[in-house]
Amino acid sequence: MISAALTILGKDLRLRARDRSVLLFAFVVPMALTLVFSLIFPSDDDFLLTVAVVDEDGGPIAAAFTQEFVPALVNQGFVDATYLDSADVARQMVDDGEVSAAWLLPEGFSGQVMAGSPAELTVLHNPDRALSTEVARGIAEGFLTEIRRVSLSVATTATAAGSAFDPRQVDAITAQAAATSALLTVGGLDTEVRQLDPTSYLGAGMAVFFLFFTVTFGITGLLEEREQRTLPRLLAAPIGVGAVHLGKATGAFVIGVVSMTVLALGNRLVLGVDWGPPLGVAVIVVAGVLCALGVMALVGSYATTVEQAGNLQSIVAMAFGLSGGVFFPVGATGWMASLSLFSPHGWFLRGLGDQVGAGSWTGVLPAAGVLLAIGVVTGSLGALRLRKVTA
Amino acid sequence: MLGDMDTVVLTCRGLERSFGRLKAVDGVDLDIAQGETYGLLGPNGAGKTTTISMIAGLLEPDAGETRVAGQVMTPSATDAKASVGLVPQDLAIYPDLTARENLTFFARLYRMERDARQTRVNEVLDVTGLADRADDRAGTYSGGMKRRLNIGIGLLHRPTLLILDEPTVGVDPQSRNAILASIETLADEGMSVLYTTHYMEEAERLCDRIGIIDQGKVIAEGTRRELISMVGENDLVRLQVAGDATRAAEACRGVAGVGSVDVDDTAVVCLVENAGERLASMLAAVTEAGVGINGVSVREPDLEDVFLHLTGKALRD
Repeated sequence: MISAALTILGKDLRLRARDRSVLLFAFVVPMALTLVFSLIFPSDDDFLLTVAVVDEDGGPIAAAFTQEFVPALVNQGFVDATYLDSADVARQMVDDGEVSAAWLLPEGFSGQVMAGSPAELTVLHNPDRALSTEVARGIAEGFLTEIRRVSLSVATTATAAGSAFDPRQVDAITAQAAATSALLTVGGLDTEVRQLDPTSYLGAGMAVFFLFFTVTFGITGLLEEREQRTLPRLLAAPIGVGAVHLGKATGAFVIGVVSMTVLALGNRLVLGVDWGPPLGVAVIVVAGVLCALGVMALVGSYATTVEQAGNLQSIVAMAFGLSGGVFFPVGATGWMASLSLFSPHGWFLRGLGDQVGAGSWTGVLPAAGVLLAIGVVTGSLGALRLRKVTA
Repeated sequence: MLGDMDTVVLTCRGLERSFGRLKAVDGVDLDIAQGETYGLLGPNGAGKTTTISMIAGLLEPDAGETRVAGQVMTPSATDAKASVGLVPQDLAIYPDLTARENLTFFARLYRMERDARQTRVNEVLDVTGLADRADDRAGTYSGGMKRRLNIGIGLLHRPTLLILDEPTVGVDPQSRNAILASIETLADEGMSVLYTTHYMEEAERLCDRIGIIDQGKVIAEGTRRELISMVGENDLVRLQVAGDATRAAEACRGVAGVGSVDVDDTAVVCLVENAGERLASMLAAVTEAGVGINGVSVREPDLEDVFLHLTGKALRD
């Protein structure tokens, strides 16, 4: 059976090599889209927020911001900070484009925060630097939110304990906490880094997105054989039905793995993307291809023609791709993140992210396990249903 | 060449197969000897393709048994399948592969060793007249060339039994003649052939024995001479009428010695015992029925007439 399956595999690969649509879907389009998107959206490696910082307040909360929080961001390489004494100078630098944005801590800032009053951390921005403006604003809001949370926690704890803390004690604790909150915040950013950088993420997303189209060429091969009337001839040969199924499945697997390998190498060489340790990449790629095979076999089993199978499989691949976040990171929380748990694409990207975050190939194992499980379940159901094609 | 009945290559007993409520094959018995060319003649939908699908191991029969070269044929009987070469009615080739690649692929499936495979592929390319275009993609071939490649794949592994399912459908006369000639050559070389067709003249030309199949049953079987003798010593009289052919047919049925009567458009076709003596009475009866006669022809019956005699309908219906 193995020999016959390999013969069918060889024939199918020869036919696929002559089919330009396979080459397009497997290699050219995903690579080209990654290249285009990476040019549109710069990677984290390229992004540096140049910002001016002006402390007109001089209070403890402002000091926590300028002396603890901002330096931590600078150390992480996200921010290049210039400390100034004058808001006017900062505004001029922003207007001149010397810095992308400026943080202005106005007089009375610390007092307002500690009194629980609305406090304003002004972000001076250049309208031409939209991305930098958003990042600067996000960092400022993050800092304020954290300060309010700490302040509220201290006050609540004191009240619950029946403590006789006076407001000055609460303020002092809050200020002390604010000084350390920068480290907590930076720790949060470190968690985000567990995701792939944007270009690597995009490259992986495109690769897995088109993988689900690429493997369909193998799955629909059985229907193609039937449509071009060669299936009876195959079944009349002394090879057994199993060899036909095995040959087709192996063909889809080989095309999928070759496609992903070429894309991984291409992304690495052309765009410098980093999917983490090669062994982990190999594991998640094999698991992803098997999963794609299983899912598409099941979907294809509901079709009676190649065209029908192609339509169904495209719909499913598109839905899983979008819900799995192949075009944009879905983040670690929120409904999109929850939705991505139902998508093989989401698990593939999660696996690579976990691997990069863990710094070891073993980081992919949970996601690879999920992909394999999906592949085994759907593939078994698909194989049972596809028997009707050769019956 | 009539086969050696001592060496039976194919035996079918009580083959039955239904599709839903339709009984496509209903108790077919067949025997084909070594070196015999057997024709399965019947109209479209008679059960020919379903029968050979069971013989080739593509379909599991609901009842009955097929043995090829002594081995029971089932969809999983790989050894029995190795004895059979199938030429499906539809073109079963890969248009994006060359003729050589098509042949080599199937030769591998039939477990031919490398050296023997290359030699045999070249032989088949010569036999089918495709050697000059062997390395062109089959999709670029003419219809006749594709048909020849289709047949070439079937005989590639020198099967004990070659099954051809209406291989000349949709083929131009020149290619058709070439195909029939190549089948005659194979038969002369001693290959057993099961040939299905609804073309009477092909069955008459190629086959040592013919089975007439209708509505899933083999209703008659024998050599051409034996089958025609079933019609009796009758002649076939064809009256071309100018008027109501049905009324003319009714008139003919009333004449003594007239057997089966069939209406074919504006003609009435009758099997008549000793037509020379009955013709005048037939003409008189038709004229008295008020139907004019434009022409008369009398000839000996053929297989088409046998089918008409046995089923009451024309083979092409």
